[in-house]
Amino acid sequence: MKFTRRQFLKLSSAGLGGSSIVLMGFSPTAALAEARAYKLARAVETRNTCPYCSVACGLLMYSIGDKSKNVQQDIIHIEGDPDHPVSRGSLCPKGAGLLDFIHSPNRLKYPEVREAGSKEWKRISWDEALDRVAALMKEDRDANFVAQNAEGVTVNRWLTTGLLAASASSNEAGYITHKVVRATGMIAFDNQARV
Amino acid sequence: MQSRAIDFNPQAAPAFLLPLPGKLFADRADRFAELATGHGLGDWLVFLGQLTGAQHAALQALPALPLPDAVTLAQARTHAMPPLNAAALARPPAWRAVLRQLAGTLDGAAPEAARIVLAGLAAADDSRLEALADALLAGEAEPGDLAALPFVAAALQVVFTRLASDLDPAQLQPLDARALCPCCGSPPVASIVRLGTAIDRLRYLHCSLCNSEWHLPRATCTACGSDAALALLEPEGGQGAVRAEACDACRSYLKIVDQQKDAGVDPVADDLTTLSLDLLVDAAGYARSGQNLLLIGGDA
Repeated sequence: MKFTRRQFLKLSSAGLGGSSIVLMGFSPTAALAEARAYKLARAVETRNTCPYCSVACGLLMYSIGDKSKNVQQDIIHIEGDPDHPVSRGSLCPKGAGLLDFIHSPNRLKYPEVREAGSKEWKRISWDEALDRVAALMKEDRDANFVAQNAEGVTVNRWLTTGLLAASASSNEAGYITHKVVRATGMIAFDNQARV
Repeated sequence: MQSRAIDFNPQAAPAFLLPLPGKLFADRADRFAELATGHGLGDWLVFLGQLTGAQHAALQALPALPLPDAVTLAQARTHAMPPLNAAALARPPAWRAVLRQLAGTLDGAAPEAARIVLAGLAAADDSRLEALADALLAGEAEPGDLAALPFVAAALQVVFTRLASDLDPAQLQPLDARALCPCCGSPPVASIVRLGTAIDRLRYLHCSLCNSEWHLPRATCTACGSDAALALLEPEGGQGAVRAEACDACRSYLKIVDQQKDAGVDPVADDLTTLSLDLLVDAAGYARSGQNLLLIGGDA
């Protein structure tokens, strides 16, 4: 029976004895012993985009741990993606420190509130946070909304509240943010990368 | 005052890196010799280093070989086929002289079993050698021929490396099958993350036959193109210079050697010095997608 390319390629503990190593007069014993002595380390490789400014540099991210085996996943390394057409593998100082952002003990992971007169930050739920922000916005808008200016021209503006959004969002999220905020009459509105 | 914008990227990264015949095999022979020291398979690696050194000598002595004619090259380009298609090309007869030269050079260095094989190759007639080359390139051989195939491959590598080095890189184009060499259509031996000005940290696949390299984005499977479930595997405590890039979408792997971790890595030599990694990854259930023609597996 003929040997096929699949057999040419396959390098297994069972097949090494019939390989060209042995047929040429050498011993593969050391490789077999080494394979028994070691275990495999595994790092998952994924491509991602830096969220911290509108340049959106490409990233390669490496993590350990396997979701399927109920082990904690952990990102161990991040580097610029050399195949990215814009950033070509480079990262700014902030991007180069992404791994420390991820593992920072100060990282904000949920809404918090510091009540007037208090020194303490208190964790609250997303529902509670959104309800509070909506109530405060409505209260301020009801009190200060300008429907017409002094000449009686309709202007529909709300000057006493502003919104600062971050650029860690997609084009579509930016569009929706703009529509929602402008619909309230809010004028002071910006996105910026350094939040 | 006239001013001109600074060109921050004067060289775009080339999609293809053709082999440098003056130093390729010499560097590889040095790498084999370096890695063989203290290695469990040191004897074998020293011998492969000598084989590679003989390839270097044969390549330097090789007269210029004619490329396929313009019509054939244009046809290959029109139909996105490799210009030196190893399976279809009329092989330059010079390869048989190279093989006989390799057999003569290595005779003193080889162990008994290999010496018998080399003597058989030196005495074989042209049709027998052509049949062996066909068997190797078609990936289908008689069990009794396995030991001869690495030597046949070494001679073909010399000839195809010479041919590929004379190609015009501007006329090359990636094949639809991104896992095959755009010069000769052979599978890769491994991929290499390169250092350099324009090609810094880009990944190239290295041809197992003609030693050309072609670019493929990192973090994508070299066999199926998926980027969904890719992992890098290496023995625990490894330094990352040689790892297996394994894809859970198609359950295959190809080794990736990294010049950032070790500037001297060679796709062929470092592949063979990390054989235990293959055994571990094979046991983990991944199929090897690359071929190293200096080692023919004998899996039954």
